[in-house]
Amino acid sequence: MTARSKIVVIAVAALALFSLRVVPLSAQAPVPAPSQPAKPPITVTVASAPDVSGAIPRLPDGHPNFQGLWHNDVGVEALRKAGLGDIHSPGTPLPFPYYPETDKIREYRDLHDPYHDPEAHCHVPGVPRIIEQPSSIMPFRIIQDEQYVTILFEYVHDLRIIPEDGSSHPKNYWAWDGDSRGHWEGDTFVVDVANFNGRSWLDMDGNFVDENEHVVERFTMTGPNSISYSATVEDPTVFTRPWTMHLNLKRNPLTDQIVYYDCHEGERDVDHYTRSEGNAASKHE
Amino acid sequence: MNKIAFTARIAAAALAAATGIGAAGYNAAAQSPAANAKAAPFSPPRLPDGTPDFRGIWQARSLAYIDLEGLRPTGAAQQSTRSAVVDPRDGKIPYLPDALKQRDANFKNRVTADPAANCYQAGVPRAVLLPTPFQIVQSVGNFAIVYTDNHAYRIVDPQSLPHDDGIDFFMGDSRGHWEGDTLVVDVIDLGDQTWLDQAGNFHSDQLHVVERYTMLNAKTISYEARLEDPKTYTKPWTIRLQLYRDTHPGARITEDECLEGADGRWHHVSPFDPKALLRHDYAAELAAEAKVQAGAPKP
Repeated sequence: MTARSKIVVIAVAALALFSLRVVPLSAQAPVPAPSQPAKPPITVTVASAPDVSGAIPRLPDGHPNFQGLWHNDVGVEALRKAGLGDIHSPGTPLPFPYYPETDKIREYRDLHDPYHDPEAHCHVPGVPRIIEQPSSIMPFRIIQDEQYVTILFEYVHDLRIIPEDGSSHPKNYWAWDGDSRGHWEGDTFVVDVANFNGRSWLDMDGNFVDENEHVVERFTMTGPNSISYSATVEDPTVFTRPWTMHLNLKRNPLTDQIVYYDCHEGERDVDHYTRSEGNAASKHE
Repeated sequence: MNKIAFTARIAAAALAAATGIGAAGYNAAAQSPAANAKAAPFSPPRLPDGTPDFRGIWQARSLAYIDLEGLRPTGAAQQSTRSAVVDPRDGKIPYLPDALKQRDANFKNRVTADPAANCYQAGVPRAVLLPTPFQIVQSVGNFAIVYTDNHAYRIVDPQSLPHDDGIDFFMGDSRGHWEGDTLVVDVIDLGDQTWLDQAGNFHSDQLHVVERYTMLNAKTISYEARLEDPKTYTKPWTIRLQLYRDTHPGARITEDECLEGADGRWHHVSPFDPKALLRHDYAAELAAEAKVQAGAPKP
């Protein structure tokens, strides 16, 4: 076994261990009945209290300096505290406001079709799933200038180059990660993400979005080592109303660095799926 | 017509159309080190700390990605191009005898044996030479190269940070330093699972690449890569070509993902292709699900 394949095995094993039940975080609001519109927004969070110690670093252009290596705080510890161990038992209500039809799709995928989770095939996760990744073991690095905030993710070498000029989305472009356009609202970097290709799942439990997904992310530095992150997801053909996810991003120690993650190149996750989970069936599609 | 020849012809035509000159002449111009050396020294734009500013989208508009040693004329209409190899001067990669046999075997099986056929990351220097563009992302103290192809990226950390030795990566482990206005990147840990081009030119896990990026003018970078691999080559050898800036306003790197086809092979899907868009028909999906569940044995 080469060193490279070893790291892939380790990474895949670690991923299976940690991301199996990472999202969708905890439910703080009851699931609304689809017939009752105009409820207050749904917010799911496992974020610890943000770190507000110290002044935030800034670039010469005056904007907060997000550069460095970061991970989210959705670690195993946070999940345990939030009591998420049982939330995905069959029949347990989920915090996402599905329509009855789309919830059936979600349930089917969760119970019968995990093989088709795009991450099992090393596809880039989409937004906000990429930020929810267990980045405590696979962090991401931000490089920032006056034009772009670039996020380089260790996980499946995904990346986002986000312009800061508030430019508009292109037409006739459909991508796993969509198209990200950012602008500054004071010290908050607001990213509008659209142009999704309709293939992404939100987690390993079958939660999903389709081609009408629209995300607004907000990155706010609360201290030199802490970013408050939220993502408001709307998808009128999947969810009855928008929902918002909060988490905090923490700075990695200066000694940490990205360890390149080659997924597709050593991919063996799909082999772990059984025939009933679609592995054999998929060969004939 | 073999696949490479066909690709080459298409690419050559596109290149000629884009530049208004023939591919062969283009390559010849790109590979003249004397011209580079005699050019008036160019002072590149700079970041606040004085380092040259390479930010932008760049592209190698050469056919070296097909065959580093130059295209071989295999038919009456097939044009040849010059080798990208500038050292040794004969333009041939100095393979050890067994490695040369392996390269020739690779060439014969290239359509299926090329790692790129599986949508793997290209490795170095192959990623730089690809016809798809890449973006250099840079700020004071940070330098990264982001490739369109398979969303591969490399972070070029300063040489003062030691290499991550002992683990191989498809894109290797890169460390950089400045020699004047030239960025010199030292790359190791490249493994033995990438090729150098579509023609089966290859390396072992002992490959050590030293790249040199020098801005010749605001729109052109001179790119040089020296490859050393005692398990594969008799001596180090060097390629040189030019990289050109994409000057279209609003130009962006687009997403490149592969999908598994019905034949089990992977193929790139353009995000501009409507086939990449999956429109969900939930009624149909539910009907399919009901069908599966009706036929499924009860637990």
